[in-house]
Amino acid sequence: MSEDISGGLENTRCSEIVRILSLGKQSGRLYLCNGGDTGNIFFRDGEIIHAQCGLLQGAKAIYETAVWTSGEYRFYPDDSPDVVTVDLSVDDILSEAANRIRQMDRITSLISSSSAVYAHDPDIKEKEITLKSIQWKVLAHVDGKRSISDISQAIGLGVSDTMKVFYTLIKAGLLKESEGSAGQSSARMIELPATPFLEALQKDLTKAMGPVAPFVISETAQEMGYDLLSDDTGHKAELIETLSNKIPSETMSLAFLDTMTDWLNAEGA
Amino acid sequence: MKGTIKDLLKVSGVHGYVIASPKGVQIKLPSKHPLAGTKDRFKALYDELVKSGKRPGNTIEVLWEDMVLTAFISGTASLMVVSAHNVNLALVRMTGKLVMANIIKEL
Repeated sequence: MSEDISGGLENTRCSEIVRILSLGKQSGRLYLCNGGDTGNIFFRDGEIIHAQCGLLQGAKAIYETAVWTSGEYRFYPDDSPDVVTVDLSVDDILSEAANRIRQMDRITSLISSSSAVYAHDPDIKEKEITLKSIQWKVLAHVDGKRSISDISQAIGLGVSDTMKVFYTLIKAGLLKESEGSAGQSSARMIELPATPFLEALQKDLTKAMGPVAPFVISETAQEMGYDLLSDDTGHKAELIETLSNKIPSETMSLAFLDTMTDWLNAEGA
Repeated sequence: MKGTIKDLLKVSGVHGYVIASPKGVQIKLPSKHPLAGTKDRFKALYDELVKSGKRPGNTIEVLWEDMVLTAFISGTASLMVVSAHNVNLALVRMTGKLVMANIIKEL
């Protein structure tokens, strides 16, 4: 039955899926994606034992995915992690996740999305402002060009936590939304050529590595001196193999190899 | 995870395979294949490969006469794939790695 646990996050939020898997005493990996962001939550007999979302690991990674309101999820039974990073009960995690969701609802009333770009507001009204170190860290990265998502990656903080800091800085009158800069962030993203092979490669590598996948593919091909548009099956196989070696988790590396080997065979390798 | 011996044999240019462990050597090659009756040579190779435990990596390619032998090692188990020299070696390594992962699961 667990093979069919998949769907859209618009209808079912992460917390609800976690509750269902926990009650069903499931073991395996819950994969979630929201645009270019991906997360994985591992269960053993209904308890969460590991989670990863971008650079975040442990409970923080779960809280990050808990606030996603769009995207997809799928449960892969029996996938197990190489590490254990969560030792909280599901009830404790879901209680904190509920707080984060409430906070995020308040934040999104002011900040449209994590792709929004902000700049320093020169018309500061307060005479004196006290900042926490994390607020200063974020403020130092704001340049009117980088999105909230870009800054969260640069400082190694989760997107939702970074949005929370932005919320406090906007409320303090230190930041204002940068006009006409919404497209700048996406313009810097690498777009791979739209071939069936590269689409399959990017999709599966994103599952294993998250939004950095297109960069890794492009960089690896460059290192190997391969043309991404080449039809050489030998080159494709070598690229897949090299990429699989760059996936930190052995389980995910094998899952990636598994899908891509099928793809190559189907293509008639 | 799939990655079965059948998948490996479907790769164009793969002749067969050998599974070696402390329990013995099992050769699956066509009967007229030049390496079909060379159990002792495979046993000797397996002993050499498994003995050098500090070897970095666990996939070894050996050019053997006009063939390529791709050996996958994990602990004391080994899968050796015999193929033509012009086979898609990356595909053999990918599939072999999956087969090896399944063999380890079953051990």
